[in-house]
Amino acid sequence: MANFKETFLNPIFKGNPITVLVLGICSSLAVTVELKGALVMALSVTAVTGLSSLVCSLIRKTIPNRVRIIVQLVVVAMMVILVDQLLKAFEATYPIDKSLSVYIGLIITNCIVMGRIEAFALGNKPLPSLVDGLANGLGYGMILVVVAFMRELLGSGTIFGFQVIPDCFYAAGYANNGLVILPPFALILLGCIIWIQRSLDKDLQEK
Amino acid sequence: MELLSLFVKSIFVDNMIFAYFLGMCSYLAVSKNVKTANGLGLAVIFVLVCTLPLNYLLDTYVLKSGALSWLGEEFANVDLSFLSFIIFIAVIAAFVQLVEMIVEKFMPSLYSSLGIFLPLIAVNCAILGGSLFMQQKDFAGVGESVVYALGSGIGWYLAIVALAAIREKLAYSNVPKALKGIGITFITVGLMGMAFMIFMGISL
Amino acid sequence: MNTNSNIYTVVYTAAVVTLVAAVLAFVSQSLKSKQNANEKAETISQILDAAQFDLSGVEGNAATIEFFKENIGSVELVRVDGTVADTLATADAEVLSVSDLKKQNYAIAGKGGEVAIPVYNFKNGVSVVSVYGQGLWGPVWGYIAFTKGTVNIVGAYFDHASETPGLGGKIKDDPAFRAQFAGKTVDYAGTTPFAIVKGGAPEGMTNGIDAITGATMTSKYLNIAINNWLEAYKAALNKPVCCGECETKTEEE
Repeated sequence: MANFKETFLNPIFKGNPITVLVLGICSSLAVTVELKGALVMALSVTAVTGLSSLVCSLIRKTIPNRVRIIVQLVVVAMMVILVDQLLKAFEATYPIDKSLSVYIGLIITNCIVMGRIEAFALGNKPLPSLVDGLANGLGYGMILVVVAFMRELLGSGTIFGFQVIPDCFYAAGYANNGLVILPPFALILLGCIIWIQRSLDKDLQEK
Repeated sequence: MELLSLFVKSIFVDNMIFAYFLGMCSYLAVSKNVKTANGLGLAVIFVLVCTLPLNYLLDTYVLKSGALSWLGEEFANVDLSFLSFIIFIAVIAAFVQLVEMIVEKFMPSLYSSLGIFLPLIAVNCAILGGSLFMQQKDFAGVGESVVYALGSGIGWYLAIVALAAIREKLAYSNVPKALKGIGITFITVGLMGMAFMIFMGISL
Repeated sequence: MNTNSNIYTVVYTAAVVTLVAAVLAFVSQSLKSKQNANEKAETISQILDAAQFDLSGVEGNAATIEFFKENIGSVELVRVDGTVADTLATADAEVLSVSDLKKQNYAIAGKGGEVAIPVYNFKNGVSVVSVYGQGLWGPVWGYIAFTKGTVNIVGAYFDHASETPGLGGKIKDDPAFRAQFAGKTVDYAGTTPFAIVKGGAPEGMTNGIDAITGATMTSKYLNIAINNWLEAYKAALNKPVCCGECETKTEEE
C-alpha cells in the first residue's frame, strides 16, 4: 500500500511532470486563460493518461517492438477521440469543448501521455500503471489550474466567470491587466512557479 | 499576393511557439546549443512541409463530411471526421519512420546530423498542431497548405535557433540559483513572445 | 510466441487499427445525434438571443428548440438579388449550421456554389440574418436582428472558434459590445454598410459602433465579415414589407 501511495504522490509534487520533468507544456499553456477551460483540460488529460497507461500496460507483452510507438499512438489517439466525442455530446461540456478547439486533439502529442507509457506502463502491472497515469494527469492539472486561477483573476477580474473584484476597485482606478491574458505571460508565470518550488525544495535546483 | 501574405503571417504572426505554444517540449529540451537546435529546426520544417499537404488531401477527399462524394452518390453523406486525429497522427508517425529508414540507408552523413531528431518529431505538437489548424482554417488548395506548412516550419526554426543563441550566452550569467536552467528559460521565452507580438498589427 | 516476426507485426498492427476504428465508429455513431442536437440548440439560442427574446426561463436543448418553434414565422434562404431560393421547415426548427454558413461564405466571395443565405422571420416582426468570416485566429460568425422590412438593427450576437478569451473573445462574452448594435441602422448609401470603429465611433454616427479595446484585429475582421454579408443581404433587406399579395407572387417565381 505504501508503494501505491508513493506512485500516486510523487508525480503530484516532487516529480511533477510540468515543473520538474518539463513535459506537456505544449498544449497546456494556451488553455489557461480561463479556469473553466483549464479544469476541463486537466480532467481530460487525467482521464487520457490513466486509461492509455492502463490499456498499454494490459497489452504490453504482445506489442511488437518495432511498431511500439505507432501502437501506443493509436491507443492514445483512441482515448483522446473518445474524450472529445463525449465532451461534444453532453450539453454542459459542449461549449467548453468548442472553446478548447484544437487543444483537445493535441493531448495526443502531449509528452506526458507518451512519456508515462514509455517510462512506466510498459514495464509495470496494469493497476500501478493506472495509478501512475492518473497521478501524472493530476500533477499536470494542478499546475494548469494554478496558472489559470492567476491569469483569470488578474486578467479578467473573475473566477469561473464570476466577477470577484468589486466594482469600487474599478471606480478607484484599478484596471484588469491585459498583458496577463496574452500568451507570453503564461510562460513567465510558469517560470515564477518553478522558481518558488525550487526555492522551497533545494534538491530540485540545477547546477 | 495572398500566398505571400499567408507565408509571412504564418512565420511571424501565427508563430507556432510564441502564439500557440506548440512543440514546447522539444523546444525547451533541445535548445541548449545552436548546432543541435539548427538540426531539429530543419527536421521540423521538412516533416511539416511533407505531412501537412498529405493530411490536407486526406482531409479534403476522405475525412470531411461529404468528402467521399467522388466515390458516388451514396457516399455523399459519409462523415469520417471523427477519425481525423488518428489518421493525422498515423500519417505523421508513419512518415517519420519512413524518412528515418530512407535517410539512414542512403544518406548516412545526413542521418548522423539530422537522424537522431526524427523520432522526437513524431510527438512534436507543432506537427500535429499544424495539421489540426489546417483543418480549421480550410485552405483553398494544396498550394496554400504547402505555403502554410513552410511558413510555420520556418517560424518554429527561427524561434528555436534564437532561443538556443540566448541560452548559450545565458550560461555565463549570474542567475538566482532556484531560477537556473528551466525557470529562466521559461521567462526568456515569455519575453521573446512579447517581442514577437509586435508583428500582430501588421496588415498584409 | 515470437513478437518480432514480420507476419506477427503486420497482423498485430492491422488488428489493433481495425479494432480501434470499429470502437470509434460505434461511439461516434451512437453520440452523433446528441452532438448534432447540441450544435443545433446552440445555434438556435444564439439566433434567439440576437432577436432579443428573453430566454431566462428556457433551460436545456429541448426547451430552446420548442421556444424557437413557437416564435418563428418563416425561414427564407435568399439570393443576392433578394429573391427566395428556398425555405426551411419551421416545424422541424431547421436552421443553417455554422458549417453551412462557411459554405455560404465561399459562395458570397464568388468561390463556387449558389448563394442562399438565411433570413429568420419571427412572428413578432423581427428578422435575423447571419454573418460569417475569418477572425484573427479562426472563423467568427454571428446573427444580426432587424425590424422586419427595415434596416434598423434591434440586436446582435457573435461567436468565434478561437479568439483569445478576454480580448477578441469579448465579441461573444461582453454584453456591452453587443448592446451597442441595438438602435443602429445599416447605411447602404455610405462607403460601407456598417462600421466597427477603432478608438470609438464619432458622436452621432448611426451605422457604426466602438471597437473592443485591446482587440483591434478581431474587431477589424468582424467588421469585414459583417460588411461582406450585409452587402449580400442588400436586396433582401431593402425589399418592402410583403403583404399577403406579393408573398404569393414570390412563391410563384
